[in-house]
Amino acid sequence: MSERPSTPRRLAHAARLALLGAGALAISACAQDAPQDTWAPEGENAQTIHNLQWPIFLVAGIVGVIVMAVVLYAVIKFKDRGQPIPEQSHGNPIIEYTFIALPAAILAVIAGFTVNTIFDLAETQDTECVINVTGQQWWWEYDYPVAADGSICGYTPSNAAAVPLITSGQVIIPTDTKVLIRGTSRDVIHSFWIPKLNGKRDMVPGRVHTWRFHADGPGIYAGQCTEFCGLSHANMRMEMIALDPDDFQAWLDNQLEPYQSPEAGTLAAAGEVTYVSQCARCHQVDGLVDGNGDPIVSAPDQWVYSGAAPNLTNFMTRNTFAGASWDLLTPACRDEVWNASPEDFGAAYLKGVTPECLNEIDLKEWLRDAPAKKPMYADATALLETDGKVRGMPNLGLSEDQINELVAYLLERK
Amino acid sequence: MITTGSKLLVGSAVAAGLLALIYGVANGGALGTIGLISAAAGLALLAGISTYGRDANVSAMDTDAFESSAAAQASATPSLWPLLIAVGATAMALGLASLPALFILGAIIVTAGALEWLVQGWSERASAERGYNSHARNFLIDPLEIPIAAAIVFGIVAYSFSRVMLGLPSKSSTVIGFSIVSALVLAIGAVVGVKRGASKTALTGTFGLATVALIAGGTVAGVNGEREIEVHKTTAYYAARGECGAEEVSADEKASQTVAGKSNVAAEVIFDGTTLTWTAPGFVPTVEGAAPLTLPRSNPNNVMFRNESGGEARLVIGMNPRLDDNGQPVGPEQICTALAKEGGVQFLTLIFDLPSFATDEGYEFAVPGTDATLEVVVP
Ligand code: HEC
Ligand SMILES: [Cu+2]
Repeated sequence: MSERPSTPRRLAHAARLALLGAGALAISACAQDAPQDTWAPEGENAQTIHNLQWPIFLVAGIVGVIVMAVVLYAVIKFKDRGQPIPEQSHGNPIIEYTFIALPAAILAVIAGFTVNTIFDLAETQDTECVINVTGQQWWWEYDYPVAADGSICGYTPSNAAAVPLITSGQVIIPTDTKVLIRGTSRDVIHSFWIPKLNGKRDMVPGRVHTWRFHADGPGIYAGQCTEFCGLSHANMRMEMIALDPDDFQAWLDNQLEPYQSPEAGTLAAAGEVTYVSQCARCHQVDGLVDGNGDPIVSAPDQWVYSGAAPNLTNFMTRNTFAGASWDLLTPACRDEVWNASPEDFGAAYLKGVTPECLNEIDLKEWLRDAPAKKPMYADATALLETDGKVRGMPNLGLSEDQINELVAYLLERK
Repeated sequence: MITTGSKLLVGSAVAAGLLALIYGVANGGALGTIGLISAAAGLALLAGISTYGRDANVSAMDTDAFESSAAAQASATPSLWPLLIAVGATAMALGLASLPALFILGAIIVTAGALEWLVQGWSERASAERGYNSHARNFLIDPLEIPIAAAIVFGIVAYSFSRVMLGLPSKSSTVIGFSIVSALVLAIGAVVGVKRGASKTALTGTFGLATVALIAGGTVAGVNGEREIEVHKTTAYYAARGECGAEEVSADEKASQTVAGKSNVAAEVIFDGTTLTWTAPGFVPTVEGAAPLTLPRSNPNNVMFRNESGGEARLVIGMNPRLDDNGQPVGPEQICTALAKEGGVQFLTLIFDLPSFATDEGYEFAVPGTDATLEVVVP
């Protein structure tokens, strides 16, 4: 075995290089712009989780490094160089008992803290604001129930009587408030996850699960469905928007403003007609009435498998659409909102989507052929098993004129 | 020297690399190519470690191994297992064309046969000593064979027995039948226990006979079919038919299919004799107060009715169903629970077609015969 004395040294060199490469890779994996970073809590509940996961990660890391080091040491030290097999020993009670007791003790301590954290996060008695969340393929609907005293989420509307609000994709909460969502699903199991604010909670058909939220400061907290739920699971995102009290009040008042028809003769007025004929069977716009003055009521349960489609009454107060997967704002305007300082965030968000800021490209692509943009089971003929109901929004074969009218009409929904 | 294990890993790595190439060219799919390249990289790493460490490399330290090692021994004897594998493969092929279950059975047989053959082939060359080899085989395969065989026997016995019990003409005859069989088992057990010297043949005969009788009985009963078994109607059944009058219908509150739903309902509605109140998961009285209950539209809402009044009561709600083109309601106009006994609980599943604002009077729970009502808001 004397013909390869230099091999170990060469290999050691290679190993060192590999280590360096892996290190560089690991460092570059720490992204700067990571809105869904679980290591950056920005609210009480996420902080509670962080206080648990950080020490555990540390302990596990230390144990892992020790084990790896010992294994590497053994591999290198006892590598076969043609030497005689060393003396073998069997059964050392002290070592064996230590190796049982030590991990058991570590795990017991971790379990204690973990169970405690789970109970902390399940607490519902200190809730200050309740929001109902309903998941469906592939977007989230939120509704805000009205309390006995006529308030919504602890805030009393300034100008109108409170009626339950419905929105989708983006859920608005007041900052520094203990919010409780009560969630369920209309079709399959989904999971609600806003990493910077709390862990995950499954939303299960026929059951109601609760989950706490709390945001320290204003901003957009991104998240996504984390239970595989079908074709467009990856496009089922959500954003929790925290607004300071005054801004939340302004948002609430704006949501409750009565419906205003577009001015006669405008493109938007033509859009209203097209909307009523093409879209109103699935989408609700509250306050829209027909020729007799009767409310136009959508019937998504007759067309869509989940039985629901997003409420578009205040569509342009949100700034993303279709499961928060595409921006309603142009990149420049989007940056203004996402990068706003905490003081300016509320005003920037409440501007909603202005005509100059509208990202027409994505919205028009959506109206032209939604399933081409977001994979959906939208071919009714292939869906006879589900009563021929579509999952998601079908391609409606609209003309470019109709699309332009609809965009003008939607632009006024705020 | 490069060990056999390393050769295997090197070969696998090369194969995975080639496959990645072929797959990439033929399919143009990124995902499969990435998977195969990852496999090739992983295998190459393992090959490297294995070559470097050369652990368990007998011949490196022991040159005698060329004669004494297992690989140097005579090859395995003929085996019947391939026959079983062939049967399984045939079943798989037939299953592909007919029943999926047959395909799965075939796959299981092929796997089992291949495993047995593998172990046999290995064990016969495990060492130069026959006795040791057969021991090695049993050592490896017994923990698998014995439980599986036991499970199959147990399955056959349990299935036959259940057919007999379901085939008996009435519930009381099943009780009698069960008593007789269990008494017999006890008696035979007692005899065997007391009379230590019971001959092996007699025992085997008794058990064999009993097994044959059971399987025969099971077959006959299975062919005859089960006796009529009454199905208890659930609340949902009556609700769907809109039987909300004063007359008593006997729904089985425990027989509902929705055990999971009951454990986590959208709301519980409680009747105390004069008023209706509600509570729900996460419901916080200080926030929502005695507000109307908000339930989502076009989604099954599970509601539990708790009767805490002194008498019987039922919960009713008008559903404002959508009307079809002829003005006829599409769903039930009213949904109710069966009469709930004093302290009883009834379960209700509601799907609202229309939001509250689109109906004339909105939605309201009521208890017939009393003034108790509770508003429901459907946003
Ligand atoms: C067959 C029912 C149906 C019809 C008709 C329909 N939609 Fe949709 N629409 C949906 C569904 C379902 C979604 C949710 C899809 C998703 O996010 O995955 C949706 C999503 C949208 C969204 C995104 C909303 C949000 O908040 O994320 C817009 C905008 C929209 N539709 C506009 C329209 C317009 C304009 C029309 C009429 C031309 C129309 N839809 C017709 C079912 C329908
Ligand atoms: Cu989902």
